[in-house]
Amino acid sequence: MVPYEYYVALSGLLMVLGLIGVAIRRNIIALLISTELMLNAVNIAFVAFDMKLGEVAGQVFVFFILTIAAAEAAIGLGLIMAIYRLRKDVDTETLTELKQ
Amino acid sequence: MELNATGFWVFSSLAVLSAIGVVFFRNIIYAVLSLISTLIMVSGLFFTMGAELIGALQILIYAVAIVVFYVLVISTVPEFKGQAFETKYMLISVPVGFLIFLELAFVSLYGAWSSNTGIFTQELIQQVGNTKAVATLLFTKYLFPFEVASLILLVAMIGAIVIGRKDHVIDEEAEK
Repeated sequence: MVPYEYYVALSGLLMVLGLIGVAIRRNIIALLISTELMLNAVNIAFVAFDMKLGEVAGQVFVFFILTIAAAEAAIGLGLIMAIYRLRKDVDTETLTELKQ
Repeated sequence: MELNATGFWVFSSLAVLSAIGVVFFRNIIYAVLSLISTLIMVSGLFFTMGAELIGALQILIYAVAIVVFYVLVISTVPEFKGQAFETKYMLISVPVGFLIFLELAFVSLYGAWSSNTGIFTQELIQQVGNTKAVATLLFTKYLFPFEVASLILLVAMIGAIVIGRKDHVIDEEAEK
C-alpha cells in the first residue's frame, strides 16, 4: 500500500502547478484550465485523507466539488464568450476597463 | 512491486507531466488535451486509492462533460494572438510556487490528523463496498447539501444561457 503522504505531496504539486498557471498565463481560457487543475489537486487530497482515516465523507465532498466545477466551467466559459463578443479579445493585459 | 504501488507511480508521474503541459503549452488546444490526460490519470489514482465511484464520476463528468465545454469555447474564440506568458511573473512564480509546495508537503507529513479516525473502519468499507458507503453517507447525512448542489446546477444552467445569449436576439424581440 502506498503511504498517504505520497498522495498528499502529489496533490500539493498539482496545486502549485495550477497556481503557477494562474499567475503566468495571459489567456483567460488558460486561467480557467489551471483552476481545474487546482480543483483536481483538492480532490486527490480529500480521497487520500479518506484512505488514511478509514472514512468516506471526503468522497462525498469530492462529489460536491465535481458539481461545483461543472457549474463554474459553464458560467466561466459563458462569461468568456460574453467578453469575447464585447471586445474581440481574451487577453488579460487588455481587460483594464475597471482601472480607468 | 505491488500493483497499487506500480499504479501510483505510473499514474502520478503521467499526471504531473501532463499538468506541466497544461501550464506551459503555448497553444491552448494542446493545453486542453493535456488537461484531459491529467484528468484521466487522476481518475486512475482514485482507483488505486479504492474510491471506485469517484474515479468513474471523474471520467464521466470531468474528462468528458467539462472538457467538451472548453473545446466548444476554444473552437468559437479564434486563435490567441498575444503573448502566451507573463515573463515578469514567470521569474517570481516558480520559486514562490516551489516554496508553497514545500510548505504543503511539510504540513501533510507532520500534520495534526495522525490520530483521527472516521466512523467507517477499513473492514466495514471492505464489507459493504466503497460505492455503498459513499451513497449511504450522501443520501443520509449530506442529503441537504446534495439538494443544494442540484439547485446550484440549475441556477448555473440558467445563468449560462442568459450570459451566453447574443444581444441582437434581444433587440429583435424588442423591435417586434
